[in-house]
Amino acid sequence: MNVQFKKGVLDLCVLSMLKDSDQYGYELANTLSALIQISDGTVYPILRKLATDGMVTTYLQESQSGPPRKYYKLTGLGRKTLTALLEEWLTFTRSVNQIVGGDGK
Amino acid sequence: MTRDEYIAALKRELGILGDTEVSEICSDFEEHFAVGISQGKTEHEISAELGDPHSVAETYLSDNIEQASGYRATTQSNAAVTNAVASNPTVVKDLTGPRLFVILFNILVMVWVAISVYSAILSFWAAAIGILIAAGAVLAAIPLIPSGAVLGVVLTGIGLFFLAVFIGILCFFLTKLAVIATKEYVKWNKKVYNEGF
Repeated sequence: MNVQFKKGVLDLCVLSMLKDSDQYGYELANTLSALIQISDGTVYPILRKLATDGMVTTYLQESQSGPPRKYYKLTGLGRKTLTALLEEWLTFTRSVNQIVGGDGK
Repeated sequence: MTRDEYIAALKRELGILGDTEVSEICSDFEEHFAVGISQGKTEHEISAELGDPHSVAETYLSDNIEQASGYRATTQSNAAVTNAVASNPTVVKDLTGPRLFVILFNILVMVWVAISVYSAILSFWAAAIGILIAAGAVLAAIPLIPSGAVLGVVLTGIGLFFLAVFIGILCFFLTKLAVIATKEYVKWNKKVYNEGF
């Protein structure tokens, strides 16, 4: 898959997963790698980039089992970007589905 | 790979990044290991799931390069492209004015300017060639001249020859200049004709 394309899609996935609740890295990595064929390690560079771009902020929180965890929280910009990316993704997949013979819905 | 081996490999691969950045990245992975272990996974399992430290590090490095070179994040540039496309429908300009101007200006003014400029240059060339022929004729006539006047005739011939060469060189540059100016003018015309002022 095209690297830029894959990156964009993974950004979309991570932002979507953070839409309803803050999550920590391990959680995000686990969910993502279970659904899409990527290695867990792929998630951390994405999270770091999203943080640098101001899409997410982080905070540490203690946990009952194991070490304190770094949680990721969507910012206003992150939420806006998610909406834009999602719309783009839906338009794109609709068109692709039409081309490859699906019903485009 | 054990936890320590994995972190060490990652650290090595991230070498060129700043110390703070490297330790921040490594602490993310240390946390990942710690969480995994607390859920009953072995270090080797976790390492395998994380994937090759080399390629993980490469992602960090390429993100770093993109940032350093002012490249905006894909997420943002994608959104920007969408916005640009949505809010900038192609503007169709009315080109009647510029086109009329180009046609009239060329017929009324530029054609005559070009004709005079090029005929002036042509006449200079003609002059240069004429003088060259004259110089040749004078020098060819030397055997027919009485010996007392030979020196004067030779000097006249040589003088005419250099005059011809001088005008010729001048003409060469003038021609070049005119051609360049014409090309630029045509380019400008095309631009105005197709895109307006």
